[in-house]
Amino acid sequence: MNLSFFDQFTSPCLLGIPLILLSMLFPALLLPTPDNRWITNRFATLQLWFSHLITKQLMTPLNKAGHKWALILTSLMMFLLLINLLGLLPYTFTPTTQLSMNMALAFPLWLATLLTGLRNQPSASLGHLLPEGTPTPLIPALIMIETTSLLIRPLALGVRLTANLTAGHLLIQLISTATTALLPLIPAVSLLTASILLLLTLLEVAVAMIQAYVFVLLLSLYLQENI
Amino acid sequence: MPQLNPNPWFFIMLMSWLTYSLIIQPKILSLTPTNTPSNKTSTTTKATSWAWPWT
Repeated sequence: MNLSFFDQFTSPCLLGIPLILLSMLFPALLLPTPDNRWITNRFATLQLWFSHLITKQLMTPLNKAGHKWALILTSLMMFLLLINLLGLLPYTFTPTTQLSMNMALAFPLWLATLLTGLRNQPSASLGHLLPEGTPTPLIPALIMIETTSLLIRPLALGVRLTANLTAGHLLIQLISTATTALLPLIPAVSLLTASILLLLTLLEVAVAMIQAYVFVLLLSLYLQENI
Repeated sequence: MPQLNPNPWFFIMLMSWLTYSLIIQPKILSLTPTNTPSNKTSTTTKATSWAWPWT
């Protein structure tokens, strides 16, 4: 059967066993469980330093009650970061290109922030639907606009991650196909395309890290409004 | 677009939450900090001027 460029995103299945589980479980292998010694090895120290860097960065703008979310946000960040980066290796599958996974993570977490706000401080949470200093005639329209923007947040969160990673992987496949196809015809242009591919791969590494960070950062921002 | 195939959607959703909550979270939880977190801001010490003791 002829494959199209989108077929790299079909959830891999071998003899009826979905292999996406392997891609999701693999990042856990890259996070060593530390010993109960104070100092273990360089890798564990680096892991500790990095996770604390992330936690401090995410928790600084939050109040005390928001610090309960530290584990959720930090582990989500590590999970997405590792999945995105591992997907850039050849012959790997990136689960975060699947809309199902990103929506599964985005929707409940966004809903959790919303319900936390509505439950603990309902008028303050609803007050976010009307920015301060709005001219009176604009109030009804602006409330509807803000409600729409609130309700579209989980969709945007999930689709942003999916689209960024899917587009990146598609571009990599397209340009590498071009490089291979041009090699017997015009080797010079093929070399140029190969250098473009190198630059694109570097960009994709950056995008992988940034998109994971943006996902978690936006969730923490939604939390800030509601906690 | 194969991502829109509804067949593995429930499995992927379920597995992603199970992996995230049962495997990743305990691993991150086990990373104990070596400094206890405190809310105190560090006070800067005032630098006293000193002269090179030229002998």
